[in-house]
Amino acid sequence: MTVTKPAAAGTEPGPPRVVLEARHPGWQRLGSMVRKEFIEIRRDRRTLALIVAVPVILLVIFGYAANFQVQHIPAEFAGHDSPLLRSALGTNGDFAVRLGVAADQAAAESDIQHGRVGVAVVVGADGRPARVLIDGSNLLTAMTAERELAPLQGASAGAAPPVSVDVLYNPSFSSTTFMTQVALVLTALGVVRERERGTIEQLMITPVRKLELMLGKTIPYLVIGLCDLVIVLLVSWALFNVPVRGSIPLLFGEALLFLTATLGMGLLISTVARTQLQAMQMSVFVQLPQLLLSGLIFPLAAMPWGVRWISYLLPLTYFVSVARGVLLKGIGPADLWPETIGLAILAVTYVSLAALRFRKTLD
Amino acid sequence: MIEILADGVVKTFGRTRALDHVDLAVPSGALWGVVGADGAGKTTLFRCIAGLLRVDSGRVLPGRAGQARLGFAQQGFHLYPDLTVEENVGFIGSLYGLSRAAAAQSAGELLAFAALSDRRSSLAGELSGGMKQKLTLVCSLLHRPPVLLLDEPTTGVDPLSRLEFWDLVEHLRVGGSTVLLASAYFDEVERCDRVVYLAHGRVVATGTPSELRGGHASLEEAFLEMTP
Repeated sequence: MTVTKPAAAGTEPGPPRVVLEARHPGWQRLGSMVRKEFIEIRRDRRTLALIVAVPVILLVIFGYAANFQVQHIPAEFAGHDSPLLRSALGTNGDFAVRLGVAADQAAAESDIQHGRVGVAVVVGADGRPARVLIDGSNLLTAMTAERELAPLQGASAGAAPPVSVDVLYNPSFSSTTFMTQVALVLTALGVVRERERGTIEQLMITPVRKLELMLGKTIPYLVIGLCDLVIVLLVSWALFNVPVRGSIPLLFGEALLFLTATLGMGLLISTVARTQLQAMQMSVFVQLPQLLLSGLIFPLAAMPWGVRWISYLLPLTYFVSVARGVLLKGIGPADLWPETIGLAILAVTYVSLAALRFRKTLD
Repeated sequence: MIEILADGVVKTFGRTRALDHVDLAVPSGALWGVVGADGAGKTTLFRCIAGLLRVDSGRVLPGRAGQARLGFAQQGFHLYPDLTVEENVGFIGSLYGLSRAAAAQSAGELLAFAALSDRRSSLAGELSGGMKQKLTLVCSLLHRPPVLLLDEPTTGVDPLSRLEFWDLVEHLRVGGSTVLLASAYFDEVERCDRVVYLAHGRVVATGTPSELRGGHASLEEAFLEMTP
């Protein structure tokens, strides 16, 4: 390196000078944080590949391979009662058959749509099963019900027309809620990575505010999460013929709340962890309950209250209902307000906690 | 007017007392140096003065309340290696609330000043050690602060780059900046108006380089004799 004479005439940075300030410095700082995050993500090819590939891989794995046994599936008869069938269904504990009988098939379909039962058996006047309706929006419930009710078809063969078993709402048992898990990990790494690389010390000395920093770290992953949702919906449609029966704007509005809540959890982890390894470990600690306790795999109704309360602290619990309701059953906002409120409360709580925990000092 | 102040500053980490009643007061337009071995408390002192660490007792200026008047080039490289020189400068400038035009003007002048104009498009992580230090200095000057803290800016930098860096510091001093600079190199602080010798978190001596040198051949010899 050669020694250069640094300052050309008139370029000495002598203080103080009048420096024109931005008209809205807060918005500018937030915009700069978001832009900086996007540049870093774009230049990190592996992370970019992870963001796109992992949700699709998980979707395919869960769509084709996952298989679990579910018990006590709420069931009912429609049209007529059948003591023989009632006894048969109740013996091994797979079904919890309601005492009442739905008036007809339409009433049974409505019960399934609103989540009151998972299975309905339409019984003819002769006491024989004529049709079986299964709520296909819950992957495991539907798989178990379909398997357990298969003998009904054989039982009725010969004496009467075969029983038709219809899986409603989700013929291919797919699910579309995995895209957030990658985003959660990446957000969890966000502030910790700044800390490990020492860049947090540079940020701390600038006037950037805590909320600007938190939102700047969150917004890029919100955008990526929504893009992932589009990819997952397209793949679900292409591979599993999953239709979007409800409103797409409603789905994306709910997804925005869900992502904010989930990324808020990630940010909170980021303010607690001291290293990226710790952040990864903590993310796994959050992800496992998300997958196991959210109702995605095991129905909430099957969980004792001792652990079920944890489910209500997890954004995925609410979004599983939303995704099933909007995607597969076509229900609207009137049926989803409890989930919407739950997601909004979690989003505000987790982002606020993260902002409160973050300190602009090093001790 | 005193621009940089540490008045009876005490800072402990657990059972370790990192700073033990440290006093210094740098007047406007002066260049002071803080010298001491690794672990003497230089970085802790600078972080306290910048308001990045809370002091247990004592008073500091500019501190957290005066961060807008302060440029702080911290020890090591704290910018974004995956961003280019220009992107780093633009990002930090916008965090200081500079308008786009003002940031561009300031960045252009400062990159020319630091002889980094032709590296605008280079990734910051790919710069040499000396260039990284100059980029750090540029970023700390973007909002034209009247007060500068430079924490070991030449540590790990080759001798020629160190000379370049000191040329920049000289220009800043001539421009009227108040500068407090930490260094582990005794010969470097000879260039300062006054020198504070820190050892084990305490101020051992303060004075002009010639006062502190006394009858010794170098500051290093004088300080070795003073070291408790």
